[in-house]
Amino acid sequence: MAMINIGGKQVEVDEDGFIQDPEIWDEELAKGIAPLEEVNELTEDHWKVVRYIREYYLRTGVAPMIRMLCKNSGFTLKQIYELFPTGPAKGACKIAGLPKPTGCV
Amino acid sequence: MPKKIVKGQELSQPARASARVLKRLYVREIPDEEKPAEALKWLDYYRKDRRSLVMAMESCVKCGVCANECHAYLGTKDPNNIPAGRADLMRKVYKRYFTVQGRLFGNLVGAEDITMDTLEKWFSYYYQCTECRRCGHVCPFGIDTCEVTMAGREILWGIGMIPDLQGAASAAVYERGNQGNMTKQALIETHDFLSDEIEEERGFRMEFPVDKPNSDILYVPSSADYLLNPETLKGACQFFEYVGANWTISSHMTEAGNFGLLTEQHSVQRELVERLWRTVAELGIKKIVFGECGHGWRAWKMYTPTLTDYAIAGSGYDYHNRVPIVHIHDEVAAYVKMGKLKLNPRDNRLAPVGKSITLHDPCNYCRACNLIQNLRVNLYASVPEVREMTPNGEKNFCCGGGSAVLYDDPEMYELRGKFSLKKVEQIKATGADILCAPCSICKAQFYGVLKEYHHLDIPIQGLIDFVGAALVFKGHRQI
Repeated sequence: MAMINIGGKQVEVDEDGFIQDPEIWDEELAKGIAPLEEVNELTEDHWKVVRYIREYYLRTGVAPMIRMLCKNSGFTLKQIYELFPTGPAKGACKIAGLPKPTGCV
Repeated sequence: MPKKIVKGQELSQPARASARVLKRLYVREIPDEEKPAEALKWLDYYRKDRRSLVMAMESCVKCGVCANECHAYLGTKDPNNIPAGRADLMRKVYKRYFTVQGRLFGNLVGAEDITMDTLEKWFSYYYQCTECRRCGHVCPFGIDTCEVTMAGREILWGIGMIPDLQGAASAAVYERGNQGNMTKQALIETHDFLSDEIEEERGFRMEFPVDKPNSDILYVPSSADYLLNPETLKGACQFFEYVGANWTISSHMTEAGNFGLLTEQHSVQRELVERLWRTVAELGIKKIVFGECGHGWRAWKMYTPTLTDYAIAGSGYDYHNRVPIVHIHDEVAAYVKMGKLKLNPRDNRLAPVGKSITLHDPCNYCRACNLIQNLRVNLYASVPEVREMTPNGEKNFCCGGGSAVLYDDPEMYELRGKFSLKKVEQIKATGADILCAPCSICKAQFYGVLKEYHHLDIPIQGLIDFVGAALVFKGHRQI
């Protein structure tokens, strides 16, 4: 268990840098996490993906299916990888403040 | 994860479960100085509990046949990854404490005291074995090193040394009945999305029933399908609708896999078995059909009877004798053999004419569950061209991610790449355009490693995906 400093706030994260308490997430925090996932600036396109994942998470308690994320956010998987070089499950979900996806993923 | 160095050797280890996860798993955290003694107690327990482990500990003559059969050794060339060498990590300790010569002559006969260094080594190498059992298949004594790995992991679990991946997935099993933390709401929303897709493709809608009372068939998909494998879910749905089954998916028990088999059989594996029978009792299920998951199918087929040793809902102890447990590919193959499914391999959305498909045999299907023939019955009936790998069937090589060695910390990821070297050679040799991998762990391993590590860009599908896409519907419900 580690504490890291994101945007001047001390935040508890797991070994892979996912925040431990999804409740404390806000847009400022997302901006702080982004550079750790090779995203230098969160553009409107990034926000579209991040907001979709966040809303889906608050509604259902998990991350959306990758294909669903692509279709509903209007990007192809390739574009999502361009936006989030570390991938949708690791990069985008981490920035959206979700816990790490578990199981055979 | 900082590297552990034991006697000058760097060890690659997966990230460990935090105290928070251990709490969710009801595992007590034991201080380091007490760990060796506690581990020894567990080893004593498992040697009395499992004859297969004692057999492995007592009989190896180091003939070396297993070395060149193990993809982990072939990929890493680390002597501790030779199956006999990996088992030796435990054998030395076993010799020291549980044999006469070891107690009397100690390291003269190769025995070794158990220390924290030993356990660190175990944590590294027992999580580098993918429990594929290829070594057991060729061993002249029939030693199954997988049993040693299982015992090693269980001992480590008992003293609180648990990888984060297995720990978090098992905690999700206790809390939500599946390894992916899926909720009922997530199932419903995903199903809606997939029903829309089927409607677009077929022109009519098919629904995925959830928790429907008085269903005949309970379909248990792998929870990873809800994140990564939409076609697998759609394929199963189209098959059930085609044969007109009264089927349902349960939100209480949505996991075809069972990491418990691989890492902790006492409570994690049992938890899912208990959930399964409760669901069967609640929904009035007559038959259970399991989805695509390799190790999971071994767990359900081989271990469920002995783990169903309690009564549920007044049904008595022989519940498993009255509700059959089958695999979806056995089910599909039975229909194919009877000629009751109309499949058109030349009109398959996922495998267009001109493309060839190669089948990766998941280890647990082939070396533990006798699914080799039926996988082929279904595949050959659904796709235009198949190119077999060599060797295949029960002699196949593991994908390199078996037993959920799906760690993504850089060192372990590197190892996953090395473990799959043999498999990639095989895939490349076939020259096929599409890879069929009917197991969630294999899929997850291939999605990442093939492209990122081996720069092999090849589409990956499950097998039921092809069956679903090749079905010829004249209207809704055919039989």
